[in-house]
Amino acid sequence: MFFHIVLERNMQLHPRFFGRNLRENLVSKLMKDVEGTCSGRHGFVVAITGIESIGKGLIRDGTGFVTFPVKYQCVVFRPFKGEILEAVVTLVNKMGFFAEAGPVQIFVSKHLIPDDMEFQAGDMPNYTTSDGSVKIQKECEVRLKIIGTRVDATEIFCVGTIKDDFLGVINDPAAA
Amino acid sequence: MSDDDHYEDEDYTSDDDSEEEEEEYEPRSSRKGSSGKKRGRSNSGSDGRRGGSKKKTSGSAFIDWEVEVDDDVEDDDNDIEVEDNEFIVSGETDLPTEDADDRRQFYQRRFNPDHEEDVDDFEKRYIARLSRMHAQDDYELEEVNEVDQQALLPSVRDPKLWLVKCAIGREREVAVCLMQKIIDRESEFKIRSAIALDHLQNYIYIEADKEAHVKEAIKGMRNIFAYHKILLVPIKEMTDVLAVESKAIDLSRDTWVRMKLGIYKGDLAQVVDVDNVRKRVTVKLIPRIDLQALANKLEGRENVKKKDFAPPPRFMNIDEARELHIRVEHRRDTMTGDYFENIDNMLFKDGFLYKKVSTKSIVAQNITPTVDELERFKRSSENGEIDFADLSTLFANRKKGHFMKGDAVIVIKGDLKNLKGWIEKVDEENVLIRSEMKGLPNPLAVNERELCKYFEPGNFVKVVSGINEGATGMVVKVDQHMLIILSDTTKEHIRVFADHVVKSEEVTNGVTKIGYHELHDLVLLSDLSFGVIIKLDSEAIQILKGVPDRPEVAIVKASEIKYKIMRKTNAQDRYKKVITVKDVVKVIEGPSKGKQGPVVKIYKGVLFIHDRHNLEHTGFICTKSSSCVLVGADRIVDSFSKFGSLKTPGQVPPSPRRCQGADMGYNAGAGGRHRGERRDDNLLVGTYVKIRLGPFKGYRGRLVEVKEKTVRVELEAKIVTVDREAISDITDNVATPSQYNMGSQTTLHPSRTPLRPCMTPMRDSGATPIHDGMRTPMRGKAWNPYMPMTPHRDSWEDGNPGSWGTSSHPYDAATPGSGWANSTPSRSSYSDAGTPISNANAPSPMTPSSASYLANTPGGQQPMTPGTDLDVMSPDIDGDAETRFMPGILVNVHKAGEGRNPGVIRDVLPDGSCIVALGYRGGGEKVMATQSEVRLVSPRKSERVKILGGKYGGSTAKVIGLDGSEGIVRLDDSLDVKIMNLARLGKLVL
Repeated sequence: MFFHIVLERNMQLHPRFFGRNLRENLVSKLMKDVEGTCSGRHGFVVAITGIESIGKGLIRDGTGFVTFPVKYQCVVFRPFKGEILEAVVTLVNKMGFFAEAGPVQIFVSKHLIPDDMEFQAGDMPNYTTSDGSVKIQKECEVRLKIIGTRVDATEIFCVGTIKDDFLGVINDPAAA
Repeated sequence: MSDDDHYEDEDYTSDDDSEEEEEEYEPRSSRKGSSGKKRGRSNSGSDGRRGGSKKKTSGSAFIDWEVEVDDDVEDDDNDIEVEDNEFIVSGETDLPTEDADDRRQFYQRRFNPDHEEDVDDFEKRYIARLSRMHAQDDYELEEVNEVDQQALLPSVRDPKLWLVKCAIGREREVAVCLMQKIIDRESEFKIRSAIALDHLQNYIYIEADKEAHVKEAIKGMRNIFAYHKILLVPIKEMTDVLAVESKAIDLSRDTWVRMKLGIYKGDLAQVVDVDNVRKRVTVKLIPRIDLQALANKLEGRENVKKKDFAPPPRFMNIDEARELHIRVEHRRDTMTGDYFENIDNMLFKDGFLYKKVSTKSIVAQNITPTVDELERFKRSSENGEIDFADLSTLFANRKKGHFMKGDAVIVIKGDLKNLKGWIEKVDEENVLIRSEMKGLPNPLAVNERELCKYFEPGNFVKVVSGINEGATGMVVKVDQHMLIILSDTTKEHIRVFADHVVKSEEVTNGVTKIGYHELHDLVLLSDLSFGVIIKLDSEAIQILKGVPDRPEVAIVKASEIKYKIMRKTNAQDRYKKVITVKDVVKVIEGPSKGKQGPVVKIYKGVLFIHDRHNLEHTGFICTKSSSCVLVGADRIVDSFSKFGSLKTPGQVPPSPRRCQGADMGYNAGAGGRHRGERRDDNLLVGTYVKIRLGPFKGYRGRLVEVKEKTVRVELEAKIVTVDREAISDITDNVATPSQYNMGSQTTLHPSRTPLRPCMTPMRDSGATPIHDGMRTPMRGKAWNPYMPMTPHRDSWEDGNPGSWGTSSHPYDAATPGSGWANSTPSRSSYSDAGTPISNANAPSPMTPSSASYLANTPGGQQPMTPGTDLDVMSPDIDGDAETRFMPGILVNVHKAGEGRNPGVIRDVLPDGSCIVALGYRGGGEKVMATQSEVRLVSPRKSERVKILGGKYGGSTAKVIGLDGSEGIVRLDDSLDVKIMNLARLGKLVL
């Protein structure tokens, strides 16, 4: 799920950036530092949409670096258990398949793939129904439900299922 | 067994030992007998029977014998072979003497050799008898109370127990022999009983009033060490001798057990029937039967005895057996009513062997069948799927403290089956659970046995027992009591029992730390290779070795790891962009081509990348930095232009601590290992310099301290302070370390390029013949600005992190166009300056007076201060190294963090890197070393050398003398004697 929230961060800036463009520098450094990161609490920071406020800088002893408390608005993406997501299959193996929904990687175990879908090894490993009508392979788009998330410091890893009503392949560019 | 002569004769007269003994035997008093009896009986756990035996009169003097010996012998009864031994079976009839007559009769019948009666028949009769006796026992049970029990304990007036040493393994034999002796010479012996305990090897106990009696009894027995001291068992310990720890083995049907002995030793078995009275269980096993051998045996043919070979477990195939003409009887079991296939007195059903064994021959505690075992066991059930409900029996013997408050559980047995709840409290056996079900009392007390942990898909769990112990993962499937977990580490499915896991918030990769080693640590192994720990186990550590181009996993012990490599280094990607840890790179060539991920570790130009899509090696990829490209590098460059040359935040000293660290390194000279800028500062300390300017002009001395603007030089006379610019390195190199570190760079850098061209001619002209000699054709290459100069750059980067900590970087970076992260024009010019040959020299043109450099050259060349360590400091070596290294010379490889390792250059790559075979003779492992990491080993007198540059480059020579930094060599081919700089002489290894 996406959220638009306000976060705060203390930015350290080297004195060389002090000047007219201090604010600009600060913001671009913030973007560079923050965008694409992941925190367990908020999920992935997708984009910074604006700066709420930049506090007074505090010179740090010894280094000359200045710490600015910056409040910024950003869009975060955090997957939740039970959430339905659409994702692109990135890897298929005998254990199941991996799919990505933006920055989030989701693993769908073969136990969570409908029983009638069988793994077919080969050049393009895939899961195919017995009648061959549905095929999950790389680049496929699937709709899945997250059954569990694991939050690391730097990434969120999810386990999903497509063994439920209305879940499964929604678009297969390879077939089209 | 009893005072039954008939029996004795039948069974024991054949015992030759017993015939030798001629001693008297005196019947015990019933009082003593019963005391001994009681102790023996605690085994059986039936007080009633003890009561019965108490009434026993002295007439049955051998009853005690029977008790003890029987128990002992019964212990033997662990194998099917022994089972047919009537003696043992008779041991079960541990009966009160009330029907002594009956028993005698029984024994007579039983042990009559002519009496060929079916074992089954015996059993039936036994059972009938036993049930009768048992009823009686129960009745008598009520009469026993505490006081009675106390009275039975041995006192000082009772006979004592003596510990007698005997031959190992002969304990029982000795006891039986003693019995036989007593039977033979009844009146001569004064001992009362002999006890051989199963768990006590090498000793038997003899009950007697006096030691002398014991000695008498054991006299002449060959298995008793009579000369050994006979020890008295203290009264207090007497009960312990015979008290058997009552292992309340609750064997019930369907319990999983393991066999203790025989060919089935260790095999999993399932209890199908329990006979508590006779302490026998019928277990279901996967038979290990060699049908061919069986067929041979049945046909009377001789079998080749292969004692130590246990046939693999296989389900019995009746048809196969029939094909081998093995007689298969289809019989109905009288007790259970089931049909069994009977082959050679073994019962089979559904391919399983049904075997009656003593409870002692099975282990019932802490049995944790593996999933595989169970799967095999359940093979014959209809669909091959494990009947998980049945697995509830698995939990029968789980350990205490299994459940914790808050655990989600499910009831697996009884009326409340499938009720889910949460544990409120655990009370020994009973567990209070709270369920959401309406209409049920809350909390609800349930027996622990009826509960099983409950998990849902998506739960995070940690395996706490079983083979996968320590692993964590997410439950992806719950199949009753079996969970399928997606392991965090391996991204593989693990099947575990719900019972073996606990819910865990902790996200581990299995074990993440063992001792000093942590998962994903970069470590150096004892064979000098390095790698990243990708899996930790209690026994072994898996390491993805730092071998680019081919994933190599080493499984090592913790002791094989030398140390953890803490140093943080940078590397360059294919386009010379700086890669630091956490940068995302893409592999563009090699086997891992196309993979992408953040860099986790960098070492020696080898990157360890974590690609989460990579399932092997827990996502780690090892590759050369040069086969990667930095992803999003453009963006970074952009942001740099915005930010000046501010690199990733990690690069900027964020805190004083870092600076401190750098300072420390500086002072400690730790930076001496690194090359490039930092080295200038640190390596210079200790070098011999000559002061070029000022009042001390012309003085020479040793550098003792380098400061930002000044250096302190210990003159050969005294220590003075001079301007930093005012010194020159005596080793032919003008030492101007400050340039890189000082604000003056702004002007210096641009000036460098224009100055360069004039440098070459200058050198040419000013060069001494020797100097000239060092200019090989290759040298031109080194000067070529377009030539890739990876090695040097590499090391230059290496030097960075520390020196950035000092004030040098920020200033440096602030220089327009000279920011090192800006890999554009100024960079390349800079790089040029950094080409090895000019590395040390390059600064010289930048000194205010380049003429002084010139003037310096000739002089600087020759008077090399004695004792100067070329390997460490002579910048001209690494400076010129690139084109000069040749195969076959001995070098020292200075890899960061490893100290120096001798090696022999095997190959020199165009970029100047060398392939070095480690070891003085080059017999060791081959490693890649950038030229900056390679230092020559100075040859000694009369050693053979290779000339590494100049006119005679490539020719071999012999050192005939050393003169400071010069070596006097005689060329092999022309026999000319030449004087060469030691730096041009590589020690030749043949």
